[in-house]
Amino acid sequence: QDVTVSGQVTSSDDGTTLPGVSVQVKGTNRGTITDADGRYRLSVQPDNRLVFSFIGFASQEFPVGSQATINVKLTAGAQSLDEVVITAQGIERDKRSLGYSTQEVGGALIAQKSEPNLLNALQGKLAGVQINGQSGAPGASTNINIRGITSFNGSNQPLIVVDGIIFSNDVNVTGNTLFQAQSANRLADVNPESIESINILKGPAAAVLYGSRASAGAIIITTKNGKGNNNKTEVTVTSSYNVQNVYGIPPFQNDYGQGSNNLYVNNSTNSWGLPFVGGPTSITNLQGETRPYQAYPNNVRDFFRQGSVLQNTANISGGDATRNFNISLGNTSQQGITDNSKFTRSNVQLGGGAKLNNGLSISGTGTYVQTVQRGAALGNGGSAYGQISRIPRSYDLPNEPFQNASGQSIYFLTTANNPNWSLQNTTLDSQVDRFFGNFTLGYDVTKWLNVTYRVTGDTYTDRRKGISNIGAVRAPQGEVIQNNFFRSELNGDLLINAKINKVFLEGLSANLLLGNNINQRKFQNASVYGEQLTIPGFPNVSNAAVFTQSAESSQVRRLVGNYAQLSLAYNNYLFLELSGRADQSSTLPVANNTYFYPAASVSFVPTDAFKVQSDVLSYAKVRASVARVGRDADPYLLNSVYTKSSFGNNVAAVNFPVSFGGSSVPGFAIDSRIGNQGLTPEFVTSTEVGLNLGFFNNRLSIDAAYFNTRSTNQIFNVSVSPSSGYDTRTTNVGELQNRGIELVLSATPIRSNGFKWDVNLNFTRIRNKVVSIAPGVLQSGITGDGFIGITPSIVQGQPYGVIVSSANPRVQNTDINNKATYDASGQYVGQLIINPTSGQFAPVIAGQPLSNPNSNWTAGLTNTFSYKGFTLSALVDTRQGGQLFSFAAVDYRSTGSLSVTGIDRDQPRILPGVIQNADGTFRPNNIQLSAQGYWQGLGGLASEASVFDATVYRLREVALNYTLPKSIIGHTPFGGISVGVSGRNLYFYAPNYYADPEVNTQGAGNIQGLDLSGPPNTRNYGVNVRLTF
Amino acid sequence: CSKYLDVNVTPNNPTVVPPSVLLPTVQVGTAFANANELNRFASTIMQQLAGAANSPATYDIYQTNGADFGNQWRFELYGGALVNAQQIITIATASNSPAYTGIAKIMKAYDFAMTTDVWGDIPYSQALQGEAAPQPRVDKQEDIYKGNQAQNIQSLFDLVREGLADLDKTSTTVPGNDDVIYKGNLVKWRQAGNTLLLKLANTISRKEPALAKQVIDQVITSGQYIKSNADDLNVTFGASVGSRDPRYEYTVVSSFRDDIILSTRYLNLLQNLKDPRLATFFTKPAANYVTRDNGERGTLPAVATWSRYGPYVTGANGEGPVRLLTNFQRAFILAESALTLKTAGDPQALYTEGIQASMALAGQTPAQIDAYLAANPSVATLTGTDAQKLEQIITQKYIAFTGNGLELWNDWRRTGYPTQLPAQNAAGIDATRPVRAVYISTENERNPNFENPAPQSNVKVWWDVD
Repeated sequence: QDVTVSGQVTSSDDGTTLPGVSVQVKGTNRGTITDADGRYRLSVQPDNRLVFSFIGFASQEFPVGSQATINVKLTAGAQSLDEVVITAQGIERDKRSLGYSTQEVGGALIAQKSEPNLLNALQGKLAGVQINGQSGAPGASTNINIRGITSFNGSNQPLIVVDGIIFSNDVNVTGNTLFQAQSANRLADVNPESIESINILKGPAAAVLYGSRASAGAIIITTKNGKGNNNKTEVTVTSSYNVQNVYGIPPFQNDYGQGSNNLYVNNSTNSWGLPFVGGPTSITNLQGETRPYQAYPNNVRDFFRQGSVLQNTANISGGDATRNFNISLGNTSQQGITDNSKFTRSNVQLGGGAKLNNGLSISGTGTYVQTVQRGAALGNGGSAYGQISRIPRSYDLPNEPFQNASGQSIYFLTTANNPNWSLQNTTLDSQVDRFFGNFTLGYDVTKWLNVTYRVTGDTYTDRRKGISNIGAVRAPQGEVIQNNFFRSELNGDLLINAKINKVFLEGLSANLLLGNNINQRKFQNASVYGEQLTIPGFPNVSNAAVFTQSAESSQVRRLVGNYAQLSLAYNNYLFLELSGRADQSSTLPVANNTYFYPAASVSFVPTDAFKVQSDVLSYAKVRASVARVGRDADPYLLNSVYTKSSFGNNVAAVNFPVSFGGSSVPGFAIDSRIGNQGLTPEFVTSTEVGLNLGFFNNRLSIDAAYFNTRSTNQIFNVSVSPSSGYDTRTTNVGELQNRGIELVLSATPIRSNGFKWDVNLNFTRIRNKVVSIAPGVLQSGITGDGFIGITPSIVQGQPYGVIVSSANPRVQNTDINNKATYDASGQYVGQLIINPTSGQFAPVIAGQPLSNPNSNWTAGLTNTFSYKGFTLSALVDTRQGGQLFSFAAVDYRSTGSLSVTGIDRDQPRILPGVIQNADGTFRPNNIQLSAQGYWQGLGGLASEASVFDATVYRLREVALNYTLPKSIIGHTPFGGISVGVSGRNLYFYAPNYYADPEVNTQGAGNIQGLDLSGPPNTRNYGVNVRLTF
Repeated sequence: CSKYLDVNVTPNNPTVVPPSVLLPTVQVGTAFANANELNRFASTIMQQLAGAANSPATYDIYQTNGADFGNQWRFELYGGALVNAQQIITIATASNSPAYTGIAKIMKAYDFAMTTDVWGDIPYSQALQGEAAPQPRVDKQEDIYKGNQAQNIQSLFDLVREGLADLDKTSTTVPGNDDVIYKGNLVKWRQAGNTLLLKLANTISRKEPALAKQVIDQVITSGQYIKSNADDLNVTFGASVGSRDPRYEYTVVSSFRDDIILSTRYLNLLQNLKDPRLATFFTKPAANYVTRDNGERGTLPAVATWSRYGPYVTGANGEGPVRLLTNFQRAFILAESALTLKTAGDPQALYTEGIQASMALAGQTPAQIDAYLAANPSVATLTGTDAQKLEQIITQKYIAFTGNGLELWNDWRRTGYPTQLPAQNAAGIDATRPVRAVYISTENERNPNFENPAPQSNVKVWWDVD
């Protein structure tokens, strides 16, 4: 028999009422939210328990019994330890019952932080999660890895779930990742302002119910849905405007101009020419024109413009615990830091739900997004960004004309385009139209049994157009690419949930979930490559003479999964959860395509079990879990196939069909990958132990975790000897290990008289190691585009993703047979060997792991101060260790542009190292080189000279917000007004690098730690306002 | 459920193909390998071209290491022409089409000869087997040329002979337009196969004169070899983007076109000989030919004036052809072997035939050729010692093969002709002209059978006797 219970929720600190507190009937979906006065009213049964939870406060639980009024005082904790979190398959769980690590981020932590990219907005805030943006280009993709890399070849990006919808975060690549304009990762289609909360499921144990794809963790995003509005319609409008400026340009010398060997050379990328003081007053450029001979100190910086980001969001929501609706409209418009680059996004979301009296509940959302992106080609060589690092100090890039009357590039090189010309003439446009939504139908069969079916879908097309106008160095005769992507994913999930409060003994409750998942993913890419254009300035495929690179590619993959989860709770202090899932995948051979994997976790709250009453220790929980997740293959790996033939690269290329004197001849070739009919699933096995502690009434809390993850039986394209006729063979091999420590520390050091200081510190240390690859294989390249001699690789005994390149030979005393390096005395062991005639380093040794992109540890510290409506927060973070392989830095240095190359330029220098004597012994190098000989002698692009320590400290985020007091807005139509200013990437310090090391030209994916001449990062700041009606 | 999941057959790539789509890949791939980076390397060190920037400039001063030619080894030869020739042999054997296997074996022998001539000892008998031998053995060049029964290595000669024998068999399917070289004319393939035997024998003739003579005698007796320019084994390219000869793409179109220029030394040679072929070999956009000396440093001439490969090499618009086996080559080989191995034929007559054939290819009329030879007796007539005569033969072969750097380099390594001074600023391992390419670093990373550290560019290959 239902009874009505009501009450008011207040803060135990200052007695103020708390609106928006979640009041949940424990173990059900029923609940409500407190109104503006902190009041609630709910229809319940006497044996129910009510859970009161609110972000920033410790949850409390009360039995209903015969009470008609339950007033609650919630205690603010720096971190609420018992809040409700959304776990795999949308299941809401008490955080205390979890035997594994999750980390929740409220919408407020990512909204209005001068950052339009959701993943970037999470940077520095999460333990165990590495997030690395590609660059400051609009829409640039962002890589995210949770607890390290667990798959040699598969996607290591976590599964993204938005309102229960499995959400594609793919980066669809047009062309070669070394040279293309950067494509967005498709989570960019989500408006950060629409987000209610994000929960990060870090380990396989947390995510096992999602199956294979969550083996790299999962990010569960919940958007605003109006459930908490207590039957009131609320309109929220947020607007923000930010500006972006290029940040991280290296320091330059401004004493020496274009040329080489102290001579002016009019087509040189070097600044090893004559000094400005005492040099000529004017020079003649390649076009035969006279120019003053002087430094242009800002010729690189002024290539960039000020970008801007304007974001507007309107949200209309209403409803109560039984009915709710939400309408969200959003628009983001970003102008990039280079001409002709932009990113715009428009979202419309409709959602709603209702719970009927007959036990049926229905809900659904639908979102339409249109995202438009434009950017210029990047990469080493001819691109705008490849040239920027090779501009002589005396070239007035911003003001020199960049094209002639017929639209051709004017530059000081004939073999490259003027960067300003490239920005206008080598572009990639993308227009994404995306729809995603869900529909859920649930039925309470009995009080303890619920059956729900959920259908979710996510589909988009990305229509791209790439243009290289006539004269572009990568397509001298011009090229127009029409490249259309289509992706869709459908999921149907049957969820049967049974809950029994007393099983076997008093205080033991059980929850059993049975589920079935049917999944289909489709992908299509069709491209038309129109080459050899005739009419200048008419970038249309009808203007092309040749179409031989046009292509199509389609994929379908399907999966059927069955899963079960049994959760046992004993007196709310001891919890056990057993999960299992069996998948059947279309991508594996029929004989091996069904695979099962289990997980178990336990959590224990001794402070409750032993009824600890302490002013110091308020809460303690220990947890442990072990889980295994299987992962299927990508589609179509079983067979060896043939592909359309082509030879060559941008130097010279033949693409079949080849046109000989009017007849077109097709050509195919055996693919360089050898298929495998015996593939089996790969597995990730993870064990985790963790500890949660709360002190001083939870004003200080610690969440610590240690994990050990082993990835085995990896589905990988193992390198084979090229003389076998092939490049790789697909097989199950190897083992990869990740061990790590995560620490989250939250504290409220001061809370008095309305002033509050909150501190949140997170720390991550992950050790990744390739334990083994395959018999006889000690290293193998990671699938992806790469330059010859610079190979992102797995190397046995090394961390994942080390970059293999050419090392300088060093003196050894271990290899007695190699007389050129052997020093019996041991005196010079480890020293670089110098060529005795040239004074340069001896010939390099190819195939050495040179650069490790994995950081040693990372940490982020957020301080938040609030006082009477003012909130000031600042995030500083650091990344310690790890290395960046940088083309730009080597360019800037070897061309004599960096400030360091201008110091004592007229003085001779000696490369560090030793010279071998005739008798085999060594002596210190004493051969003098010019400054140019020295700085260029350090090495070129594919050498040790490209490797830099990526350690960086950063003031990542500062935000100041002011919420107007009710006394002021009481007579206005507004329910709330807040205004704020925020800044992002305001300062960084990289002790061992010339610029900002937090870049990665290849964006999201398994290849990290390469700066192959891409756009730099930006510093953003701006204002925002939030109005509630 | 099993039907629902039965969607793993790729719609994007064929898993079975007829040999007719592989044959163009093999033929174009062979020409591409011959005329792309390896030609830029060999034509530069052999001083027909000079490096102006980037890799040609480093080749020009004899700098080369394991970072060079990775694409050539991986994608043009082993993973390109060679593995697809092997695929044709497998597929066409199963479908009883020896016309295809015959051509594929001849092309495969040509490609392996190209590979071993550049790198010396190479994977051969165990190569191209994919998963069956992911790290193939490195066979000695001697065994590749001569065969080695104990190690189950078939000689290149026997491989060609096997191909020739296949051509005589009845074939279920025969090539047509997919044979971009001879349009399915098997008579011409027979001639080409025998001419390849001449080339292979000629290559090892100083190391193994008896074997070379035996092979050449057999070919002469058969009478089936390339006898006219119309029989040349040429790969002709097209005039549009993606169909053009790589030498045209590189020197005329690409952003690297200003990396390479006509060598001053080669211009001097041709002008000293008053050779009329110069006008089709190289362009002259300015009043005079604009060149650069090999290894020269300093300011470059204005790029618009540079002399680059002309229509003889690149065709008018990139058609080529790439000349892999030619009538002039056959005549020069027979002239050389008549001189040094005493095979049948008159060295002078064969030498003259070679010059005539080459000049005709360069667009000279018979009357013009006769006039040139009459006016230049020092070119036309073999005189002096055998060594001097050989120098004349190889020098004319060097000129005739303009645009095929590998043939120039092979002949120079074999004979020392033409005699050339080192490049200016010669550097590299010991400032000497490379006599082999260094194994690509990828093989050293992936295959422990390769010598590590690899032999440097100053270590001679087996047939290079002096």
